Amino acid sequence: MEIKDQIAIVTGGASGLGAGTVRALAAKGAKVAVLDLNEALAKSIADEVGGIAVRVDVADTDSVAAAMATVKEKLGIARIVMNVAGIGIGRKITSRKGPHPLADFMRVINVNLTGTFDICRLASTDIATLEPVNADGERGVFVNVASIFAFDGPVGDTAYAAAKAGVAGMTLPMARDLANYGIRVMTIAPGFFDTPLARSEVGEAGVDKMVSLVPFPKRPGKPEEFAKMACHIVENSMLNGEVIRLDGAIRMSMML
Amino acid sequence: MDVSQQSVVITGGASGLGAGAARLFVDKGARVAIFDRNLALAQQTADELGCLAVACDVADEASVMAALSKVTEINGPPRIFINCAGIDITGRIATRGGGPQPLEALSKQIAVNLTGTYNICRLGADLVRQLPRLASAEPSASTEQGVIVNVASAAGLDGPRGQTAYAATKAAVIGMTLPMARDLSAYGIRVVTIAPGVFNTPLAAAVLRGDPETAVGDVPFPKRAGRPAEFGQLALHICENPMLNGEVIRLDGGLRAT
Amino acid sequence: MNVQGQVALITGGASGLGAGAARILTKAGARCALLDRNLALAEELAAELGGIAIECDVVNGPAVEAAVDRVVEALGTPRILLNAAGIDVAIRTANKKAPHPLEEFERVIAVNLTGTFNVARIVAHRLTSAAVLNEDGERGVIINIASVVAQDGPIGQAAYAASKAGVQGLALPMARDLAPFGIRVVTIAPGMFETPLASGIPQAWIDSIIPTVPFPKRWGNPLEFGALVQQICENTMLNGEMIRIDGAVRLGA
Repeated sequence: MEIKDQIAIVTGGASGLGAGTVRALAAKGAKVAVLDLNEALAKSIADEVGGIAVRVDVADTDSVAAAMATVKEKLGIARIVMNVAGIGIGRKITSRKGPHPLADFMRVINVNLTGTFDICRLASTDIATLEPVNADGERGVFVNVASIFAFDGPVGDTAYAAAKAGVAGMTLPMARDLANYGIRVMTIAPGFFDTPLARSEVGEAGVDKMVSLVPFPKRPGKPEEFAKMACHIVENSMLNGEVIRLDGAIRMSMML
Repeated sequence: MDVSQQSVVITGGASGLGAGAARLFVDKGARVAIFDRNLALAQQTADELGCLAVACDVADEASVMAALSKVTEINGPPRIFINCAGIDITGRIATRGGGPQPLEALSKQIAVNLTGTYNICRLGADLVRQLPRLASAEPSASTEQGVIVNVASAAGLDGPRGQTAYAATKAAVIGMTLPMARDLSAYGIRVVTIAPGVFNTPLAAAVLRGDPETAVGDVPFPKRAGRPAEFGQLALHICENPMLNGEVIRLDGGLRAT
Repeated sequence: MNVQGQVALITGGASGLGAGAARILTKAGARCALLDRNLALAEELAAELGGIAIECDVVNGPAVEAAVDRVVEALGTPRILLNAAGIDVAIRTANKKAPHPLEEFERVIAVNLTGTFNVARIVAHRLTSAAVLNEDGERGVIINIASVVAQDGPIGQAAYAASKAGVQGLALPMARDLAPFGIRVVTIAPGMFETPLASGIPQAWIDSIIPTVPFPKRWGNPLEFGALVQQICENTMLNGEMIRIDGAVRLGA
């Protein structure tokens, strides 16, 4: 579908890949709602692009419902939904420190996996009530974010890998569930991008190591490159139910 | 890589997906050369689009070398290669009435779909490797020198019945994507594969023995055959997005073939 | 590792795939501890097999710790862990009436994904200090269960597919985390098996799916699943891998 004049939601839109996506969608003429836990940062991005900022904790279903209602009230129902919000944690399943704390595992699952699902289920219910935008009967498109860690997770990232593999795994059935309503579901699995999350995951020393593993181009990805892929997905109606690696051909070895 | 003014080779470009891609690349200002075994059809498409037609048998080394020389001479040395040339011979591997499938069903498809793709990739990459390096604002190691887009198929991933030989050749194209990307990374050449589902092309019409639009029952959304322009759009995006490398992208409306 | 004389801890062991594996492993000389929410059913099978039954909710950390303590006390340290506890729901992501209830999604994720991880982390931790079993330095093997649904994703299976894809996703990093301790992690993705879990699937869907299994055109038997579990235990080179056992079925929408 054409992006111009559409309403779009970007979770985790205040920084990193999300912020890049907000800017790209706005540049293409979308009205963007920036959903983020960090309201101040969300507001500064929203002001920059003439969008709105809404505070949300995607792991809290009441907060998600309230944020979706706010977007609907202020802008209308968003046909484009980009689930970029995510957190990571580095800890082995067991070590001398003892077993991986279960609460930390669940926090990562709740934000990355359940949060993504929660946004999708609410958004799709609303979008199903809208008229199609084109002759294909297209009503909406979701772009979810997995990670290459879902496929080649290194040591110490069991929780993050499980959550992201969950996001990848629900892509196809969700696309099938929503096909009747003309809502497409796609997932991007980014490699190493220059974002606050990635830097906190690998540490400053890990940046050079990660880059050295990338066949080409030998540098971190830029948020605008992620955003370009996300916009292309919105614009190309034949893309559906697929997970796309965007990673410069990196395959992770065992250690970061 | 910005495609405008780039010399681009599109194999199988006389019709179908290749022609769809050619149209988009010409619109973006690329100097496109269509490689096809059917020179008459290639010439007709090239005249319509305003690009170059070159006779080429992709499986034949001498033919590819000659075609690449011709492109270099007329359009400049190519840095982008879109490998759309392909054939599809359907048939079950063995049937009660018909016995085993003839071995040529496999060997013919390997020649075009796999050897042909590999042949263009190796000769094209070798050509790009010898060109003066392009410069950019990026450091030299992350400055792009070329892009290869190969065409596999949803059949290469899902393995529908009656497609054993075709699926084998397309799965092989999928299988060589990552090692090729790794091999060529040192030269700044990216390799990405598209795996299309049901598209409105002469090849699909021949395989399905009818209008591809009638064969979209299993496609979740959009419930129609893909358009060659949509294939071209993704091929163009792949050229323009330098972080895409070593990846196989399904373009199929969510289809899983059975 | 040789299964003979080992202790196997099987969650969801009272029925279905877990029970099938328990029968096979017992026959091969293992002593099985069956953890299940349904104690009566678990006790019945344990009595038949000469193993033990423990009531346990896999999502509950302290309950699993206590259950593992009981297994160690009664039988010894479990060297084989089979995470077979699992549940399914069939609800679409949204329809015109309502979105998929979030609690149902969370319940499936909790049992299938968090439960698998929970038992794995606790048993793995015990195994880190166990004696090595052989010259490979092997200490144990963890077998998790994903599903072909995680890859083929039929309609109404977003929650189940996400949970099982999650299990698939944690397989490799878990195998890597535990490799220094000689603990292997292997995942099985079963197709259509005749189990109580599958009994919740609508008959019409079953009637349509079995004919699409290339070969053999029938339900899988939990004992066939169990035979693969035994092979995984015995073949030390299998690690970090997911194996489909499904008669080559690929599920349509």
